[in-house]
Amino acid sequence: MNTNRRDFLTLAGFTSLSLALPRSLRANTTPPHVLVIGGGFGGATVAKYLKLWGGNIDVTLIDRDASHYACILSNLVVTGAIPMSRIQLGYGNLKTKRGVNIVQGEALSVDPASKEVTVKIGNDFFAYAFDKLVLSPGIDFINPAGNYNSDLTPHAWKAGTQTLLLKNQLAAMAKKQTFVMTIPKSPYRCPPGPYERACSVADYLKRKKSGAKIIVLDANASIQAEPINFGNAFTKTYKDVLTYIPNVAVTEVDSATKTIVTSQGTFKGAVLNVIPNQRAGQIVANAGLVNDPTGKWALVDPLSYASTLYPDIHILGDSQGTGQPKSGHMANSQAKVCADAIIRSFSGEAPDPSPVTSSACFSPITSKTASWLTASFQYDPVTKAMKRVEPSFAEAPRPTSDGMEQMFHWADNIFADSFS
Amino acid sequence: MQPSSKPHVPSTLKRAATPRTILALSAVCACNPLPAAPPAGQLLSSQCFQCHGTNGQPVSGFEGIGGENANEMYKELLEMSLRKPEGIMDLQIRAYTPAQLRLIANYLSTLPKTSESDDD
Repeated sequence: MNTNRRDFLTLAGFTSLSLALPRSLRANTTPPHVLVIGGGFGGATVAKYLKLWGGNIDVTLIDRDASHYACILSNLVVTGAIPMSRIQLGYGNLKTKRGVNIVQGEALSVDPASKEVTVKIGNDFFAYAFDKLVLSPGIDFINPAGNYNSDLTPHAWKAGTQTLLLKNQLAAMAKKQTFVMTIPKSPYRCPPGPYERACSVADYLKRKKSGAKIIVLDANASIQAEPINFGNAFTKTYKDVLTYIPNVAVTEVDSATKTIVTSQGTFKGAVLNVIPNQRAGQIVANAGLVNDPTGKWALVDPLSYASTLYPDIHILGDSQGTGQPKSGHMANSQAKVCADAIIRSFSGEAPDPSPVTSSACFSPITSKTASWLTASFQYDPVTKAMKRVEPSFAEAPRPTSDGMEQMFHWADNIFADSFS
Repeated sequence: MQPSSKPHVPSTLKRAATPRTILALSAVCACNPLPAAPPAGQLLSSQCFQCHGTNGQPVSGFEGIGGENANEMYKELLEMSLRKPEGIMDLQIRAYTPAQLRLIANYLSTLPKTSESDDD
């Protein structure tokens, strides 16, 4: 035991010395530690690929929930076409197959100077140290004025409990009643998503609730994604059940009476699905990283997704402000660029100078058909920004049943590529 | 618009037993190297994996793309990028320069064939 004690003291001295040195001078015995906040598509993918590509890196993924519910396919849960279990994605594979440390807790604040994150776990508070921090918390909402309460008028724009609330309200509608929904001002999570929801609900009402209608109140001047497919769906497929109104500014919402006052009149529905305007996740604001001109998103270097304020803090997915679309597919795509850049930085290398990111997605238009949308981005060294490659940008010529089949394959593969 | 509310953080924080602390005490002789620089084409190729599966091994539906002949794969990718678009893949491929497609084809050829399910 005596020798053990002496060894321990030697070890302790060595350890504190090694931690005091910069990484480049440190002995190779201590793996770098990357802390990832937020276990959606961005956070899960960056954690997985840091382990898959990085080898000797410790990765800790912190999320407030025990599992993630994907927004991808969630409109089909709302209409009852698929069960909630189909979009539930656990962290078990990241832990056992990839060796990611999984912690269930809520990140409250970031100290960029001491490189620590304060995390609430149960009733206790912990400080987690990091060499590199990745924030991928998704969106938070800018609630409308009035007596707004998302438990009564669900947004269902973060999947989970909210999805079930909206599903149950839709199912409880009587014939000839009205479903009112709002589309937030761009940029928001998933550009085609609200139009997809309008189509899914319209299809459901046509089939199940005779005489029922849907009113779609868009804060934007026009359809924000797949204007041909959604335009055709609104003016042809669903012309008898759907009313689309652009340029609608929301004045106030009363969730108790399911009433919404807008620049284009007051609307009341049996279901009121308000999808509020959006901003970066709260932890990004708490960390002082919201610095774009609109005051909503975090500016990053798209070669690494490092914050323009702190080089060791990276922001991925919906919260970052590069102008790329906010979607699960895009968050997965950016996460790979970020993981690669972090691994390179640990080897003293600069990031890849010409990354490509892409977003592909499939949207159900009816219960039997789906369309698709794709956009890809190349780094432009002149503007130092990701620039859309125009020849790669298109929507499906028309919704098809093949598209519906491909949609489920796409979901299966992106779920697995991100979470296992 | 930026939220100003700061979360309540108590003055006494517990130190989380981060992996760094644990491993620094336990793995003093492990002598593992820091991560090596990634191989060319790895990052670009990973942008195929959302649909074609991690390391080109899909779990559902789409074609496996690992372990194919590099020259044939490059030719196929180039053709897709030049023909009249028939589907989503022909659009996606237009994001890449011919030099990037060459890097992708070369890297994918080094991965296991699809029949092998281990994607590590």
